[in-house]
Amino acid sequence: MVYVIPAVFLVVFVFAAIKRVKIYSEFSQGVKEAVEFTVSLIPCLAAIFMMCAVFEKSGLSDALTRLLAPLFGGLGIPPELTKLVLIKPFSGSGSLAYLNAVITQHGADSYIARCACVCYGSSETVFYISAVYFAGIKVKRLAAPIAVVLVAAFASTVVACLLCRVM
Amino acid sequence: MNAIFTVIFIASAAAMLFMAPSELLPTMMDGAESAAKTALTLFCIYAVWMGLSRVAEKSGLTRKAAKGLKPIAKRLFRTENEAALENLAMNLSCNLLGIGGAATPFAVKAIGELEKDKNEFGQKLLFVINATSIQLLPTTVIALRAAAGSGAAADIFLPSLICTCVSTGLGVLLFVLSQKVARRGRGLARHRRGFWRKRGG
Repeated sequence: MVYVIPAVFLVVFVFAAIKRVKIYSEFSQGVKEAVEFTVSLIPCLAAIFMMCAVFEKSGLSDALTRLLAPLFGGLGIPPELTKLVLIKPFSGSGSLAYLNAVITQHGADSYIARCACVCYGSSETVFYISAVYFAGIKVKRLAAPIAVVLVAAFASTVVACLLCRVM
Repeated sequence: MNAIFTVIFIASAAAMLFMAPSELLPTMMDGAESAAKTALTLFCIYAVWMGLSRVAEKSGLTRKAAKGLKPIAKRLFRTENEAALENLAMNLSCNLLGIGGAATPFAVKAIGELEKDKNEFGQKLLFVINATSIQLLPTTVIALRAAAGSGAAADIFLPSLICTCVSTGLGVLLFVLSQKVARRGRGLARHRRGFWRKRGG
């Protein structure tokens, strides 16, 4: 798999050279688009990150974790993973740090760690993606798609915990 | 998003008022700081991939590569817009290849194109597909496990693949259903309004 990325770059550049594209100008034009795009993201990103920081610091996310742990346990999700499941939709770096902690604490080949890895790998940071995708767009009624994604992610977590028991 | 932000923010701020009133300001500034850091990281990712994707676009490579996925994308996202279809196809193929960084710029371009046709269904469906993660190979996680001294770091491949299919499949299904219910709800409301208007008139 390590060959995929260099191969992609090589194919694109060689093909573009054959087609006589001005690679340097076009590439820097693309970077210019990236600058504008990143700048357009900052307002939404800042607001969402502030919300996540306050939610975490206020102790509400811990309270919610304690509250939901028994419920999650009933569905086969180990209590150690409740927090991971809850913060994944909000924070990619936060959940990655937590995943790392779980792996070192329980050992990479333990049930808990494998389960955490599958949960982490098969879900995305939903709120962040919604901010990025809809930054420049006036789409209303995002609640339904976000809810759908969260439900689907939760269902796949339950499946992940089940699968890791047998596989 | 407005409702979510309001509820979470007010609840957290109220909790902090009692627990740690002096912490609110530094916490929010920390949040802004990590947003700025994230923006910088994102710029690095997008600079590479948007640069590359522009070269690929100008050389006509994306048009060729997207050809295979286009018919599927056309039916799935209900659009005839060629530029949107190209970006949609590229987004899907980057996701499948596991280069998520490259997938995002294509998604954003596709959403911009769909906006021109006022195709909210397509925009939201694309969000659902991407937000439920359709990665084939969870590279980050495998690397992490290998680093932690796992005996078989890649043995989570199969469960991950199944889970990712479950979440994306379920997400798309629920989304299409929710759209149908919403449309029926609006239709019913219109019907009712018409009914009252007739009675009133």
